[in-house]
Amino acid sequence: MQTFKDIYRYRFVLSALVAKELKAEYRSMALGFLWSLLNPLVMLAVLSFVLVWFFRGNWNAPSLVVVGLVPYNFFSYCLSGCSSSIIGNSTLVKHVSFPRQILPVAMILNHLVHFAIQSTLIVSVLAVFGPAEGASVLTPNLLWLVPVFTLHLGLCVGVGLLVAALNVVYRDTRYIIESSLQVLFWLSPVLYSARDAFSASQKAWVHYVYYGYYMNPLSGVLSSYRAILYYGTAPNLLILAMTLVSTLIVGAIGVRAFWVHERQFADLIQ
Amino acid sequence: MTAPVIKLTNVCKSYRLYKQRPFLAREFFRMLLQRPSAVDVHHALTDVSFEVMPGESVGVLGRNGAGKSTLLSLVAKTSYPTSGTVEVHGSMGPLLELGAGFHPDLSGHENVFLNAAILGLTRSEIEDRFDAIADFAEIGEFMDAPLHCYSTGMRARLGFAVIAQVDPDIVLIDEILAVGDAQFQAKCNKTISGFKEAGKNLFLVSHNMSDISRLCERAIWLERGRVAGAGPTDEVISNYMEYTRGLSVG
Repeated sequence: MQTFKDIYRYRFVLSALVAKELKAEYRSMALGFLWSLLNPLVMLAVLSFVLVWFFRGNWNAPSLVVVGLVPYNFFSYCLSGCSSSIIGNSTLVKHVSFPRQILPVAMILNHLVHFAIQSTLIVSVLAVFGPAEGASVLTPNLLWLVPVFTLHLGLCVGVGLLVAALNVVYRDTRYIIESSLQVLFWLSPVLYSARDAFSASQKAWVHYVYYGYYMNPLSGVLSSYRAILYYGTAPNLLILAMTLVSTLIVGAIGVRAFWVHERQFADLIQ
Repeated sequence: MTAPVIKLTNVCKSYRLYKQRPFLAREFFRMLLQRPSAVDVHHALTDVSFEVMPGESVGVLGRNGAGKSTLLSLVAKTSYPTSGTVEVHGSMGPLLELGAGFHPDLSGHENVFLNAAILGLTRSEIEDRFDAIADFAEIGEFMDAPLHCYSTGMRARLGFAVIAQVDPDIVLIDEILAVGDAQFQAKCNKTISGFKEAGKNLFLVSHNMSDISRLCERAIWLERGRVAGAGPTDEVISNYMEYTRGLSVG
């Protein structure tokens, strides 16, 4: 708990760090904040084209993809950003004493701003291509976004703290994360609807795969986003409960790992 | 009876020296096979104890690798002892690396805010002291230019200016920094002397005996991680000089 109290005490430093990241990023790019939209927009266009053209997807494939892609991007940027957040600020860590967790947390807040910008993409794509056939998104079910987003953010903080600490101790963590993110992209429902995939078969063993699949908290988060934003329904409560449990486990491991290694950071960065 | 500002009790610090950099993939398989990596332990500090009273300035001297910088990092609380305790009361101004955390794409103005925030100032304190910082750094219109336009000297001056205005209780110095031209160096020296006159504690690590004897009443001589001598500066320095002379002759 001390971990989070210290963050609050150093909130001014935190805001200064986030402002620094944002300013620095956008001063070094010609297009400014538009850049944040351009990357997912291109990804979305290519992926939708492939889905529609080669896999005979529906014409509203962009809507199906965007509700998974943008939240997935937030998670993936947080992970790669956090993994280098401590060693990227090595002079600070070595010479100034301050709670180290504000470095990965600043990184997450920075990407949260991008996530907010990219959310406009979700809204506009849904407005243009529409949700699933016969579904309406503008229902009270939208309120489910609050708990789902909380889970999503909690997951990012937990895994972010874990990889930030691990990458100081083991420098190959960053590469392992990059590969894992590639795997996660396909193992989580970014490009497809897990609901469709699992409802296609009635065989018993599919159930086990189903539960195994949702052990991955990211799957649950993305499925829930898709249920709310694409199908206009409430998320599956069983999935949400499983996600909550796995997020708490991952978060506890992350906070614990950070707390154990935090005191050695300055010694390990050379 | 006043309480010491810095108090080290039986402090030991050891580093683990890996033969190879640890990699997650390798360590994981090693763990499964129960064959831990080869690790040497290097004892940087052994059983170091001392106290610094309010207003007292202490110089640390010793040969390369004696543990001076390790001691400094323990007092700065960026590193923690393997055993023993380190108690520090009061705010710290680390004059160790000037402009730690400066970002090349931000302006001098923005970097001052960031740097001062990290050193522990609040927003209103920074706003109050900003003009003083700008005056001290003497970089004029460059204050609004991005830092990658700065010369090395300007960057260091800005870094020094921030710390000079942070007004810490304990000033940690790793060698008196030779920043900028002679005039600015004189200003830096004056600031450091000013800290001393204002009753701050200096904690100075240096190879320069004249700096230590000029600024510190007490000195600690470290030799291979142990305290080889402590006491009034002149006494410790003469013992140390005698010892090093003996080494170079023998």
